[in-house]
Parts: sequence; C-alpha cells; structure tokens
Amino acid sequence: MYEHFSGGVFSDQLDGGRAGAEIVLTASGVSARVPDGQSFAIPYRECNVEICGYNGRMVFCRDSTRTVTIFCDDRKFARELSTASSGTLDAQLGDALQRVRSQSRRGTLVGVVSLAAILLFIVGCYFGVRYGAKGAVHSLPISVDRQLGKTAFSSMDLGGPEVKDPAVVAAIQKMVDQLKPHAAIDGLDFEIHVVDSEELNAFCLPGGVIVVYTGLIANAENPDQVAAVIGHEMSHATLRHGLERTSQSLGIWAAVSLLIGDATGLIAGGADLFQVAVVNSYSRDQEDAADKEGVRMLHEAGIDPASMAQFFKIMEAEHGDMPELFAWISTHPQHADRIASVTATVDALPERQYTPLDIDWQEVQSKVKDVAKTTKGDR
Amino acid sequence: MYAEIRDKPSFANIHVKLQPGDQIIAEADAMACMSSTIEMDTKWSGGFVQGILKRVFGGESMFVNTFSTQTGGELVLTQPFPGDMQCLELNGNTMFLQPGAFIACEPGVKLGLGWAGFKMFIAREGLFRLKVSGIGRVWFGAYGGIFQKEVEGEYVVDSGHLVAYEPTIGIRIGMAGGIFSSFFSGEGFVTRVSGPGRIYMQSRSFDGLAAWTNAHLW
Repeated sequence: MYEHFSGGVFSDQLDGGRAGAEIVLTASGVSARVPDGQSFAIPYRECNVEICGYNGRMVFCRDSTRTVTIFCDDRKFARELSTASSGTLDAQLGDALQRVRSQSRRGTLVGVVSLAAILLFIVGCYFGVRYGAKGAVHSLPISVDRQLGKTAFSSMDLGGPEVKDPAVVAAIQKMVDQLKPHAAIDGLDFEIHVVDSEELNAFCLPGGVIVVYTGLIANAENPDQVAAVIGHEMSHATLRHGLERTSQSLGIWAAVSLLIGDATGLIAGGADLFQVAVVNSYSRDQEDAADKEGVRMLHEAGIDPASMAQFFKIMEAEHGDMPELFAWISTHPQHADRIASVTATVDALPERQYTPLDIDWQEVQSKVKDVAKTTKGDR
Repeated sequence: MYAEIRDKPSFANIHVKLQPGDQIIAEADAMACMSSTIEMDTKWSGGFVQGILKRVFGGESMFVNTFSTQTGGELVLTQPFPGDMQCLELNGNTMFLQPGAFIACEPGVKLGLGWAGFKMFIAREGLFRLKVSGIGRVWFGAYGGIFQKEVEGEYVVDSGHLVAYEPTIGIRIGMAGGIFSSFFSGEGFVTRVSGPGRIYMQSRSFDGLAAWTNAHLW
C-alpha cells in the first residue's frame, strides 16, 4: 500500500500549465493524478530533486526533460521519497536539504543583524535627538529662559500671599545684589518675590524669577544661610538647568523642532513642567551642580560658603533623611550626602576671609513673624 | 454562470450572470448592483475565528456574501480602489493572495488564511496572506494594472507590488542594490522571488500613492 500525499503538477499538457494533484510514491517512481483524471509519472532514476517554495520545504521532482514537475510540501514527503526510492535520491535530497538549511541560517543571521542594526539606529537617533536638544538649549538666547520663567510664574499657585515689607524684601535683594556679579552668565535680571508660607524653601525659575518663602527666613540662623540657599537657586538659573530639564521632558518632535531652532514647544512644555513640580523639577546631577556653583558664587561674593552646609543641617533636623528606597528615586540628594559634598567643596577652596552680611537679621525675622500673624488674622 | 471582467484595466468590475441554482461568493461590500431576483446571504468568512483573523490580519472582511438565484439574474462586483481584476481557474491547486486582493470566487473554492512570516511584513506585504484552493474560479483585484510572470530562476519585485503567487514560489527579502543605492534610489527593500511558479504583480503600489500624496501635502 503506497502512501498518498496532496500536492501539484506543472506540465504543458495541463490547461493553464498547472493543477493540484494526488501524489503517490510507487516502487518505480513518483506519480501524480490531477482532478480531471490525467496522470503523470517520473521514474526515480530520472528524477531531479529540488527543495524550495514559499516555506522552504516544498520538494520538487522534475523529469530529465523538465517538462513535468511534481511537487509536494507535506512534512513527511522528503523522508518517504527517500524510502520509496530505496536511497536512489538520497544524495540529491541531502544536497537540497543542506542548501535550504544553509540559506535558512544565513537568512536568520541577516534578519537578526538587520533587526539589531535597525533597533540600534532608532535608539541612537532617539538619544541623539535627546542629547542634541539638551546641548541646543545652551545656544538659545537668554530671553527664552525669561519667557519660560515668566510664563510658568504667571500661572503658578505660590501657596501664600506675597510679602511686600520693605525690610524683608531689601534684605533678600541685598543678598541677590551681592551674588549677581559672580553669576556664571551675564544678562539675567533676578526678580525677587517673598511669599508668606511656612515652607522651608526657595526656588528660582528659568530666567531669574526667585521665590523665597518666609519659612526659610524664619528658620535660618543668620542671613548668610539664606544667601547660601539663594546662591544655590540662582545657580539653577545661571547653569540653565530649567531649559535642560525641559528639553529632556519634551516629546521627540518638540526636541527635533528645538534642534532646528524652534523653541515654542520648549517654552510651552517647560511652563507646564515648572507649574506642576517646581521643587522637584531638577535632576540629582543638576542639584549637585547647583550646590557646587552656589558654593563658588558665595566664595567669590565674600559670603561664607559653609553656611550652605549649615542650612542643610537645619533642614536635616527639620525633615530628616528619607528611607533609602525613596532616596534612590528622589531627585534631591540626601541631606547627609549634600552636607558632606558641600563641606568637601568648601574645604577645597582657597583661603579667604568672609564678611557676614550686614543685615539686621532679628528685625527681618520679626517682620516676617508679624506678616505671618497678620495673614493668620485675616484668615 | 457567466462572468466577464469589464472596464479593464483602470476601473475593472465583474459582470456576473447567474443561472437558476448558480452561486457566487463575494467579499462584503463588493456588490455594486444586482437584479432584484438575486438573493444575498451573509456568513462569517470561514467561520467566526477565521472571519476575525481574516479581518485583523488578512485585510479582508469578516463576512462574505453568497449570491444565488432561483430564476436567474445578474450582478456587478467591484473593488474599492481603481485598478484591474484577474480571474484564476483553480484546478485543485492553491494560490496565495495578498491582503485585500480577494473579490469573489465560486463555491468550490476554499478560502483560508496563512502565516506569511516576518519577511513578508518587512516587504510591506502583510503578516498573513489569503490562501485560495480547490476547484473553480477566483477573482482578485489590484491597484493599477495586473501583469503576470512565470518565474523559473530568480526575479525581483519591488515591495508592495506582489499581488498573488503560487506556493511553489520561494520568497526572500533583500535590498535592491548596495546599502547606499538601496536607500537613496528609493527602492529600499525588494522581494526576491524564485520559481518555479507564477506570480501576479500590480503596476501601482499603495505605498507609492501614500508617499506621493504626503509629498504634496506639505
């Protein structure tokens, strides 16, 4: 009993040159019977075997004149052909299988390498645009920083009323005036806003809009410590961290448009970013850089840079350090690490005599307390 | 059943005259007009699962319509885009059609869905292909003109131009030339087909039309 397979035949004797066929491997050769009853047979000794087709495993048996081709893609066909032909076709089958396997291996290798190359290219383009955009922000005019800062500030909830007391504002202005000549870049107009809030914080938006909370003034032991915080925040503006950070948060097309000089997407994206999370807007590296730049500015301005570490100690006592897990994902470094890092930076500075800021700190703090009482009374 | 392809090659349509008891199966939405004596029965294309698979991966409709008549009548079948149509006479053999090419067939033809592989996906021919087999006529359409080629050795077809091919055809994806000429000649990847077998190609490609349209939108 011979095994039957489903396949087809190519022959000029057929209408249209081809037909599906039932294939039988007999003792003498391969035979095929098409639906209209016509039969074709190729003796094994005249059979030329090839393996190819859409799935790479279709076996073609051709007669010596190549006028009849019988083909089948059944998985068992090649093995059964070998058995039925008593090994006559083994050499041809072996060669054909070897060729198919080698082509398949080469195809897989080329596919994998091409895929890896395409992925590498896409990833390269992505990071190229990202880092290109980060670098491109430094070539933008400083007016872009100002526009970004003003846009974010105009729609920002500051968390309290603005303090207009001349003594308080003048004290902060004095600190900024002393630090400003030592800024890393020229052309920034620092604008001060003191806000009545218990927040132990201050921030500086791109372009130089500085917001100082009365909680910071109330908790600082001396004006040098507040100057140290302001120096750190001014550094974010002078090092243009706001634009850098915004460029990283942009969508890829906004980053591409930035690379060709269109900063509108940057300003819109930055305004959103700073509006939502002004305190956590900077990366850890940027915070470290701002600490170092702040220390340099304080040193150049003749204000004791050790005040920065002293203030971090106050913050550490106030808030403590966060658990290790949260510290790892936080954008702000741990207080203890910052204190150590700032102290090391200060120790590396050349010797210099620092003059404490000439500000009546007790008066400023008492004014701040008065403002707080008035605000609470109003509520 | 008498069927004739009219208005070739740009706006081809199939004019079918059904005798009492005749049936023709057509892709959903292929019917342009028909006699009131013709009845239409809608079924899942190859069953529920096959119908979903054909829709999602084969670019075909989930449903097929069977047109039949008790007294005789005529109907016109068409395709959604301008181009030629071709009739294939299957004699127990099989043919693969690219997604979206199938228009109609006689009841003796079986419609199936086959995995085409990632190489066909890269060649922009789709991950799956429609497999038509059995005995009877099949009509398929293409964008632009249709031309056929009996392939013996190797033949190169630009991606997006292959419409139908026999299972005996081997397919490889390759670059049109070297890396530079492939990407800057506009040819990019091409399909290298190897015989024996017959292939059908379309003279226009949808990708080409899309690229041309995009270029004129800016």
